[in-house]
Amino acid sequence: MPKVKIPRKSTSVDMTAMCDVSFLLLTFFILTSKFKPTEPVAIDLPNSRSEIQVNDAIKISVDKNGKAYINYPSVTFRLKALEKMAEYYKDKYPALVNLTEKQKANFAQVETFGFNAKSNVGDLLNKKPDEISAESTGIPMDSADNQLGDWVMAGRYADVDINHPSARNAIRIAIKGDKNTDVKAVREVIKTLTEKDIHTFNLITTLAGGSSAAGAEKKE
Amino acid sequence: MAEIDTSGGGGGGKHGGKVRGKKLSTKVDLTPMVDLAFLLITFFMLTTSLNKPKAMDLSMPKKDDTKKQDVKESQVLNVLLGKDDVIWYYGTEDGKMTDMKQTTFAGDQGIREVLLKKQKQVEKMHGHDKEYGDKMIVLIKMAEGAKYKDMVDILDEMDITKTRIYAIQDIVPIEQETIDNNGKVKAGEEIERVTR
Repeated sequence: MPKVKIPRKSTSVDMTAMCDVSFLLLTFFILTSKFKPTEPVAIDLPNSRSEIQVNDAIKISVDKNGKAYINYPSVTFRLKALEKMAEYYKDKYPALVNLTEKQKANFAQVETFGFNAKSNVGDLLNKKPDEISAESTGIPMDSADNQLGDWVMAGRYADVDINHPSARNAIRIAIKGDKNTDVKAVREVIKTLTEKDIHTFNLITTLAGGSSAAGAEKKE
Repeated sequence: MAEIDTSGGGGGGKHGGKVRGKKLSTKVDLTPMVDLAFLLITFFMLTTSLNKPKAMDLSMPKKDDTKKQDVKESQVLNVLLGKDDVIWYYGTEDGKMTDMKQTTFAGDQGIREVLLKKQKQVEKMHGHDKEYGDKMIVLIKMAEGAKYKDMVDILDEMDITKTRIYAIQDIVPIEQETIDNNGKVKAGEEIERVTR
């Protein structure tokens, strides 16, 4: 009787397919991930059950001490807004008018900024973007010197130039407040916006756990 | 796995003499590559923030909007946000302010219950409105010491209780005084009816 030979099977598995999948996933995550932008202050967002997504918006941050900062959506947007600010409010902020290209470029690198435009802006903008961000003191927004409103308007003018929006899809304004800030500071921001005829805006929050929503459903 | 053939080149082996071109395997070991890929995937998964910020809509009335609505005082609930997450609320009777009551944001027993109760009461008195569902009007005011979180929470409660008509208003001095007086209205003091 002939001997039955058990064929020896190789233990190695073809890794090609696995490699394909893992690189596909890797590419996906690399492309979709967006690194956390550097901000001068950490902002602890309040929770809500609202699920509206805001992508491009002029974000006004209010930190826990009630100071305001502004965040425009992109580098080109920041450059344009700075230009508009110098164009429309040149009498108010002469320091913003004759900035060098280098200073403008430095400004555009700072994602969230907050400085007094009536102070010596030229010197500040000579510094590196990180330092400009670190030296943020907040944008003044009291009724006597409401620079925040001007920055918001400059942003809207920049939006008109860049995106040519119709009346309905003009850029949104979003308020990003720290949950522990005094509500008065936020009211001040809202007041500033309504004075500039902006009556609809967003409040940025994080999504709360489903518990509160579920609770409400039970009640009804 | 890709083994390196160490059995020597053409010379050795059983086929003495004849030099044969060695057949090299075209397979490459992909294990380390997969390892690396998964390491990077893990890194990117962990660094991407999973809780994307969401936003809520808020509309404020236009200042020059002089259109006044007739509002019955039984429709109105005044909600005042105070210090340490405390909420005060009151209604008016015959133009007079009633004593304030105190509540919190705590789940079902807090302000939500108050709102839903008032909603039912208003619906019983004024009927159901096609457009808004019910006719309850909530006036939200921020007292001394309120946090931004409280404002977002109360707006959230408006959404949860499906209250369609609400407004954020400035607090009136007498209301702040009443809160400081622990909710008791000083006798004889009247509050002007606030209309939207």
